[in-house]
Amino acid sequence: MTPVRRFLCAWLVSFPLAWDSCGVQAAFSQAMDSDFTLNLPAGRKECFYQTMKRDASLEIEYQVLDGAGLDVDFSIFSPSGQLLFNDQRKSDGVHTVETEDGDYMFCFDNTFSTVSDKLVFFELILDNMDTDEDPENWKEYVHGIDTLDMKLEDIMDTINNVKARLSKSVQIQTLLRAFEARDRNIQESNFERVNFWSVVNLVVMVMVSGVQVYLVRSLFEDKKKIRT
Amino acid sequence: SPFLLPQTLVTSAGPFLLLSWISSISALYFHIGETEKKCFIEEIPDETMVIGKYRTQLWDKQSGSFLPATPGLGMHVEIKDPDTKIILSRQYGSDGRFTFTSHTPGEHQICLHSNSTKMALFAGGKLRVHLDIQVGEHTNNYPEIAAKDKLTELQLRVRQLLDQVEQIQKEQNYQRYREERFRMTSESTNQRVLWWSITQTLILIITGIWQMKHLKSFFEAKKLV
Repeated sequence: MTPVRRFLCAWLVSFPLAWDSCGVQAAFSQAMDSDFTLNLPAGRKECFYQTMKRDASLEIEYQVLDGAGLDVDFSIFSPSGQLLFNDQRKSDGVHTVETEDGDYMFCFDNTFSTVSDKLVFFELILDNMDTDEDPENWKEYVHGIDTLDMKLEDIMDTINNVKARLSKSVQIQTLLRAFEARDRNIQESNFERVNFWSVVNLVVMVMVSGVQVYLVRSLFEDKKKIRT
Repeated sequence: SPFLLPQTLVTSAGPFLLLSWISSISALYFHIGETEKKCFIEEIPDETMVIGKYRTQLWDKQSGSFLPATPGLGMHVEIKDPDTKIILSRQYGSDGRFTFTSHTPGEHQICLHSNSTKMALFAGGKLRVHLDIQVGEHTNNYPEIAAKDKLTELQLRVRQLLDQVEQIQKEQNYQRYREERFRMTSESTNQRVLWWSITQTLILIITGIWQMKHLKSFFEAKKLV
């Protein structure tokens, strides 16, 4: 960022019109849903925290995508340190919490496993976080007026409805993606297993037949010596 | 030219953007040790933009709370594409914003670790990192689009719906490609199981017959039968 640009912006900030353009990125749309996928090493415990307001709702959904038994321990604690939910060796789970003010902590525990890493996916869905203001109040940023306001209100309601449904579609899609990833990993590990055990089987068969032939032969060598 | 000016204003609004994000959003946070590296995996279709924002706080023993980190303390961000090739490897300050666009569909890995070498800064404590990763149409800044294309509110909302549907379509195409790969692997596995079982049975039968014949001729040669 050049000093010229910085100076320009600072100077233009004093003009209310230009302040709009300067501040146009200031009201960043809040992220209400977020998902993360992470690798949980063997014997490790990872904790995450989420700040919540009162009377909001926190929905957390997790799945184990890869790693041995596809299971992990999950626990969620309230801001006061009280254990709200505890899942032992589960493959997936969904929990909804009606929240109070504070930081909620949730942990994924892989300490029971000594060898295998787990690939864990989780999704946080926050509701009613901002009851005061509409986070997508774009009225200040739009240009021009839509005419026939009365009827367009109805159309806009419908469009908002469609947007809500589409958001739900996206959530379901994320869920399906996690299921598919898990199934794919199961299949790929099956593939490895079949290959490995087939080779072992082949080697064992060849060895056993060799040993058998040698044993039977040696048996008859001794007998011949005894006879003569 | 007059059209360039709003653009320069927007880019120089960078610090304002971060400041307001710091105060307004409450993203997920976690604690990271000094030499610890935290990695997240994002599975995305191609030509998808991803914006990640983080802010850090350091534990202050005196006040007994987390305070904004000192300017010298930064985070190193490393992003790998599905072929484990590094597409971004940069140092950012204590608050940072990184962005990349995927060119191959698949699992991209986003890794963060602190660049601190002074043990004193951490003082045995941990660094608190607030992280927010936005993918696809969530990266679009609609107030900016409205200003640039001069849209009415209705037009803006329809534009948002179009972007959302486009992202869903992209994701579904990627899903279809993954399902096809999955089906191919399944069918290949099943075929191999079938052919190996048949081959195994044949080998067993042939080996058995050969063993019997060989033993018989062996016994006859040794004049035992």
